[in-house]
Amino acid sequence: MIETKNINFYYGNFHALKNISMQMETHTVTAFIGPSGCGKSTFLRLFNRMNDLIANTRLTGECLIDGKNIYEKSIQVDELRKKVGMVFQKPNPFPKSIFENVAYGLRVNGVSKQSFIARRVEESLRAAALWEEVKDKLKKSAFELSGGQQQRLCIARALAISPSILLMDEPASALDPISTSKIEELIYLLKKEYTIVIVTHNMQQAARISDKTGFFMLGELVEFNDTKKMFLNPEKEQTQNYITGRFG
Amino acid sequence: MKYTEKELQALKEEVNEMWKLVLSQLEKAKQSFLNKDVELAREIASREKRVDAFELKIDSDCENYIALFSPVAVDLRLVLSLIKISITLERIGDFAESIARHVIDNDCCEIDRPIIDELQIEKMFDTVISMLTDSFVVLESENTRISGKIMSKDNEMDTLYHRSLDILSAYLQQNPALIRCGLKTFMIIRKLERIGDHCSNIVEEIVFYVDAKVLKHGGRVLGDK
Amino acid sequence: MVLRLNRNPGILSPILNNFVTLFFLFCNIKGLILQRKKLRNFREQEFMDKKIKQKIAFGFFRALSLLVVGILFWILGFIIYNGIGVISWEFLTTAPTDGMTAGGIFPAIVGTFCLIAGSIVFAFPVGLMSGIYISEYAGNGWIIKFIRIMTNNLGSIPSIVFGLFGMALFVNTFGFGDSIIAGSLTLGLLILPLIIRTTEEALKAIPGSYRTGSLALGASRLQTVTRVVLPVAFPNIMTGLILAVGRVSGETAPILFTVAAYFLPKLPSGIFDQVMALPYHLYVIATSGTDIEASRPIAYGTALVLIIIVLLMNLLATVLRRYFGKRVKIN
Repeated sequence: MIETKNINFYYGNFHALKNISMQMETHTVTAFIGPSGCGKSTFLRLFNRMNDLIANTRLTGECLIDGKNIYEKSIQVDELRKKVGMVFQKPNPFPKSIFENVAYGLRVNGVSKQSFIARRVEESLRAAALWEEVKDKLKKSAFELSGGQQQRLCIARALAISPSILLMDEPASALDPISTSKIEELIYLLKKEYTIVIVTHNMQQAARISDKTGFFMLGELVEFNDTKKMFLNPEKEQTQNYITGRFG
Repeated sequence: MKYTEKELQALKEEVNEMWKLVLSQLEKAKQSFLNKDVELAREIASREKRVDAFELKIDSDCENYIALFSPVAVDLRLVLSLIKISITLERIGDFAESIARHVIDNDCCEIDRPIIDELQIEKMFDTVISMLTDSFVVLESENTRISGKIMSKDNEMDTLYHRSLDILSAYLQQNPALIRCGLKTFMIIRKLERIGDHCSNIVEEIVFYVDAKVLKHGGRVLGDK
Repeated sequence: MVLRLNRNPGILSPILNNFVTLFFLFCNIKGLILQRKKLRNFREQEFMDKKIKQKIAFGFFRALSLLVVGILFWILGFIIYNGIGVISWEFLTTAPTDGMTAGGIFPAIVGTFCLIAGSIVFAFPVGLMSGIYISEYAGNGWIIKFIRIMTNNLGSIPSIVFGLFGMALFVNTFGFGDSIIAGSLTLGLLILPLIIRTTEEALKAIPGSYRTGSLALGASRLQTVTRVVLPVAFPNIMTGLILAVGRVSGETAPILFTVAAYFLPKLPSGIFDQVMALPYHLYVIATSGTDIEASRPIAYGTALVLIIIVLLMNLLATVLRRYFGKRVKIN
């Protein structure tokens, strides 16, 4: 379970996230929607501390994963990122073979037993619904795959180190509709074993795949509600104006 | 106004047109029934086709809107309720037509006028007409405060209907020869009562659209478990 | 030569910029006059004007770039024409004789390669690691800006100053004497900025998505650099290195006081030996040999060998980059 309490986040003087408190249940899909620059991606990156990489940022409040504040001093960021996987907007496979891409997370985390790596790679590729397509060309470069396949490879790569949470930052925005629907199908399947948080610009996508939806605007969490409720009868007028396209 | 809103507005406009047509059908049905005006009744019958055409048109326009614009939230609720409203309006149109057919058949004039008056058929006509007019106002103004008033008129209709049953059965016991005619008259009353029900359905749809509340069958608020 | 110009526009670019500005100013004035004259066919005129302007401008640019190529060919042709006569197997494999008016240049070739190897052994690891530090670890604080400015300054110090510094530090203070190690270290210092710069640029060119992707999988920064970023950047780093080699093989001033022997017709036996080197040998036989006129053909021959070495290095850089560029993707 992910829980945030009064999160405030600043890029320098810019107040990017304002007092955000919410809870995400285990084995659910939570979608964040909102206009560009509303802070939804920033919020997503809090959960695996990717924002740490950006200079001159400041955070107040608590971000708890399974009851532990991940911003405490005792938390190892590497360990956290093993537990909280991430998939990015643009497919970003490494310039390595398909096999090595998936094995990478295991190798950097100290796994060296070949048989285990091979088994894990296959499991992850299967889980990412890519195994059948690539099983005969594992030694080929990952760049030979199509965009949608590359993105599924990135998902497999994230799954290989057995995270419990999967963060997805607009995972389908660079893909064609067929690849998009494959990714969506995958998210639906992965929900059984992972807690998924996804940022998307595509509201229909949020509606299709998520259990709960959060609407962000200007750094505030305007509304966080069941997806069904959100798309049939949102509580806030701002939400309604945004999702019906009457924004502004 | 965004172009998607304009499309939606056009859809609403169509339903308004249909609404006006059905309302005039209903008013004419009242006139023709009370005055036994066969000419007017024929006019109603011939204009029924236009009501049907409206329904088909609105149906397909709503389908298109959903397919092309994927409406959500308030827009989705509006389109859904417009579909249902148009179906209901078409039903009301059918009832107006069947009342007109009864006038055209002109095969039962024997029932005494005082009985007709006692049955308060004119009042029933007036009540459903006002219900339909008021619900139109609700949709236009998106103000659901008067919806309660319209619903209570439906109860009034029910009372009149049950009352008419007693009056008619007493009357027919005394005049067994008029039993066919009495049944036909009762059917008209029954139809008026149904129109009242449909009108309150329409109001429920509008409340669904505006307030996202489901009033039907006990009711709930949308999205709540 | 051309390559170097492209990488280091330094002096040329302000002049070129002014030139270009003036040129466009001229075009604009001309355009204005034309516009007044033919106000009626305003649109057509404007359209034609634009096309003509563009033609003139690009024609001019093309001529300039062809000029550069022309000069290169002229130099090459000149050297080849004068030097090809003395090139022979013997010339390449024997030591100079008769007061450097006869014999070959073998010791100088060997010396040059010794210096190349020595300077790279020193400068490549140091430059690579500094480049990685600057690009991957240092962030964007004032320290890093300072380091960057200083690196650039180091790069713009005249090579003769490096020579003097190398003599003071390595030859005298460290007591290496005139030796391969003193010369290599001096040359290494000279190319260090170049290697740091190219490493930094090569790393900068790697998309950040590789880094975030790796870090998000729980990799450390060091793992990210060594396993993902460096392999991709390697071809470009190699290119920078080989360009540095070209530079080393051609420099005269830094070796003047630190390693180069005037005349030493034997091969070095260790890193503390003096050696001859091609550029210095060329300088010597062209300016202060025993018989300058008699050794002129040898001078051209030496120049030709030197140029061929540098060109071969550049060619190697291109080939290596292509090769690694392909390999890295598959890996």
